[in-house]
Amino acid sequence: MKKNILFLFVLIFSLSSCIEILDDLTIHADGSGTFRYNINLSSNKIKVNSILALDSLDGQKVPKIEDIKEKIQQFIKTLDAQNGISNVKVEENYTDFIFKFSCDFTNVLVLQEGLKETIHSLTKEKKATELDHNWIAWDGNKLTRSTPTITQTKVKEMKQSDLDLLKTGSYTSISRFDSTVEKFTNPAAILSKNKQAVMIKTDTYSLKENLDILENVIYLNSTKN
Amino acid sequence: MLFKKQVLFTVFLSCVFSFQAQNSENLIPKDAVTVFSINNINLFQKISLDELISYDFMYEVHQELFDGSTSGSTLKDSGLDFDQKLNVFYGKAYKSEISGFSFGIKDQQKLFTVFDDFDLIEKMSDAKTKVYGSFFNNLIIRANSALLIRVEPTMDYISEMTDSIWYARGNESPFDYFNYDEEELNILDEKVFGEEEEPNEEENQLFPDASEDPNVKNYYELRDSVQLVLQQAQLDMILNELLVLNINLPNSDSRFANQLTHDSEGIFYMDNARNIDKANGLWYFQTVLPSLYKDVQELYAGNVILGDIYLKEHAVEFDITAEYGKGLGEIYKEMNDSKFDRNILKYIPNNSSGYFSYNVNMQKAYEKAYEIIMPILSEEKNAQIAMNVLTIELLNEFVNKDALFGTYKGSMFGSFNGFKKIKTKKIEFFYDEETFEYGERVAEAEEDMPIFTYGITIDRTDIPEKILKHFGRLTSKIQNKGNYWIFENAIFDAAPLYMINKNGLFILTNDEDLAVNHSDGYKKEKLSRKAGRKAKKSGFMYANINVAETINRFPMDVLNDRQNEIIQTLKGKSGNLELVSTKTSVKKTQFKIKYTYQGDDTSGKHLLDLINSIYIVTK
Repeated sequence: MKKNILFLFVLIFSLSSCIEILDDLTIHADGSGTFRYNINLSSNKIKVNSILALDSLDGQKVPKIEDIKEKIQQFIKTLDAQNGISNVKVEENYTDFIFKFSCDFTNVLVLQEGLKETIHSLTKEKKATELDHNWIAWDGNKLTRSTPTITQTKVKEMKQSDLDLLKTGSYTSISRFDSTVEKFTNPAAILSKNKQAVMIKTDTYSLKENLDILENVIYLNSTKN
Repeated sequence: MLFKKQVLFTVFLSCVFSFQAQNSENLIPKDAVTVFSINNINLFQKISLDELISYDFMYEVHQELFDGSTSGSTLKDSGLDFDQKLNVFYGKAYKSEISGFSFGIKDQQKLFTVFDDFDLIEKMSDAKTKVYGSFFNNLIIRANSALLIRVEPTMDYISEMTDSIWYARGNESPFDYFNYDEEELNILDEKVFGEEEEPNEEENQLFPDASEDPNVKNYYELRDSVQLVLQQAQLDMILNELLVLNINLPNSDSRFANQLTHDSEGIFYMDNARNIDKANGLWYFQTVLPSLYKDVQELYAGNVILGDIYLKEHAVEFDITAEYGKGLGEIYKEMNDSKFDRNILKYIPNNSSGYFSYNVNMQKAYEKAYEIIMPILSEEKNAQIAMNVLTIELLNEFVNKDALFGTYKGSMFGSFNGFKKIKTKKIEFFYDEETFEYGERVAEAEEDMPIFTYGITIDRTDIPEKILKHFGRLTSKIQNKGNYWIFENAIFDAAPLYMINKNGLFILTNDEDLAVNHSDGYKKEKLSRKAGRKAKKSGFMYANINVAETINRFPMDVLNDRQNEIIQTLKGKSGNLELVSTKTSVKKTQFKIKYTYQGDDTSGKHLLDLINSIYIVTK
């Protein structure tokens, strides 16, 4: 499984030219919420299909679609069994290569802990320190988001020759709330018209150059009884 | 009388000197099937050892040799005698696989700074010959020549001997160890995720335990012991042949001996007749149909590939001769008796990065093969073979061979025309400004795609037309556009494939421009007359590749590991690669590969790269 996860990182970053990634976090007042993560490789269908036809890529064995489906089912089952996590779903589209993940959580700590434990369990890797870092914090009125360490690590490992290819990929991060947003710290972020969602959209090249680009602290308007 | 004495004295001196001056090629074992012999190793003086061991032909023997202590050294520092040949060889027979190289020695002391992990094996050495060993390899020094060799018994031979000993001792099948009683699953005992599981020792143990008595071995221990013994036995046999009986490849095969006399920079030898033993697909014949296997071996008798390597200014040339026996020769001669189809030149653009043509007459080849091979098969007393022979004979009578070979004559061509952007569809997310909720929509996209064209010559254009018409009715993805057919999303479910059925050719291409605008050929933009004449004049095969544009840009993703290996050695180079062939006779066909290059790399480096490519292909 560890090899499959490593392969997925190799695949994602080798296809960074036209990959579209969306992470969408909804937080309710009580700290529970929904986390969605979408990967869209439809711009790279030819390349993805040609890679899947190979035996190996960059020293990693290329899994078959059946292997990938099986691993996704394992991932769903394991994550669903974690404390505080429920309603885990993954929509897989192997024609356009779009993958949509979503789950509900009782608080952001269990979300991060659940993801970490799931990956540990599936990779049997106890020492993946990149997963230890908490990238979301919520205190009831303030949401702090940063880039996961594992993303930082993998992006730094990218070859210089792939850098130009990153410019056409995109990464979108959305945070949604029940109440309105008062302010946020990231100048690149934009507020929705209903003032209940904050979006940061960047290209994968900028993300590589500046890993803090997704960092944001969002303050909500406090509700008074 | 004086003259006779002078002649005798000269002969005597020659014998003395040849006895004392052992040539490196005399240390090539007769079991070597593939040999590269480099005459002018002066070219490699400046090659670093680190670079040398990166080549595949050095892989088998380099692990212990080059352990970092030789980092920064060149061949010049290694004590080699540059006046003798450097011979690299490989061979595989049923019992063992051998690989290694032989070379001349100028300075033994310097040599042992490279071979610093080798220890003298006294029981195998004598006054004339010293034998050294390390874990996998042996170094033999005789006079001023040396042989570095690795001998490994094959797994089939090891298993055969091990099984023989194992069962002779009254043991049961060793593979019963893996049979275990499956416990019935009790659904009440389902595992709960998250609970720590204690490791199951039984599941973790793949092989039986060793026993305490060292004389009682389990099957795998026995096999290891057998492997060691066989390795030593094979090595002893090969060294006895080479050093005591003086049996080596040059005096066993006059074709190889003759090649050694050539004054080219290097020579190449591959005995295909012995290579057939290595072909994994034929093990069935060896064991189940030994007489048929013998007949197939006889058909391959005399099948050898010989080559010369010449270094010119900014060019490396290979002259290759493929010789074969009478039976195969007659088939090849008929097969290659085919007229060049000029129509293919219309479909190769003048800016093509690489193209090839291949002209064969499949019908003549089939008829001659039928005439030669069927009598061999008919003599087999095996029931399965007899049924197959009957089937072939009936098919031969019932099938309309003119229609079959009219549809596929055997000749083909291909070209690689660089990269183009092709239109595809993608899904993109769009966001509602009010809530940032998102939806999906289909949008146009473009992807880079390598452009290939491949075509075969046909007489019966109506047959592919019939097939396509039929499939067109079954799926809307296949459509007739008048001048061409299109198969939507045929390539990786994203890009269309175009099919052109004109001018006696059936062409497959992903080049939309060719199908839409040039279905009758490129006309003025086609391959130049000069280039076309070269292709036409060549025998049954011709290829021309612009290395920088083709190999450097070739999509490695579409190749398998082995093909990638070959291409990798040519990546980063610039220049032109051209392959031409002569007319095929009953005895031989000749090829010439000419690689002209630019750049500052030495000829020696280019030569090593090309030798490595050929080594990979032939291994």
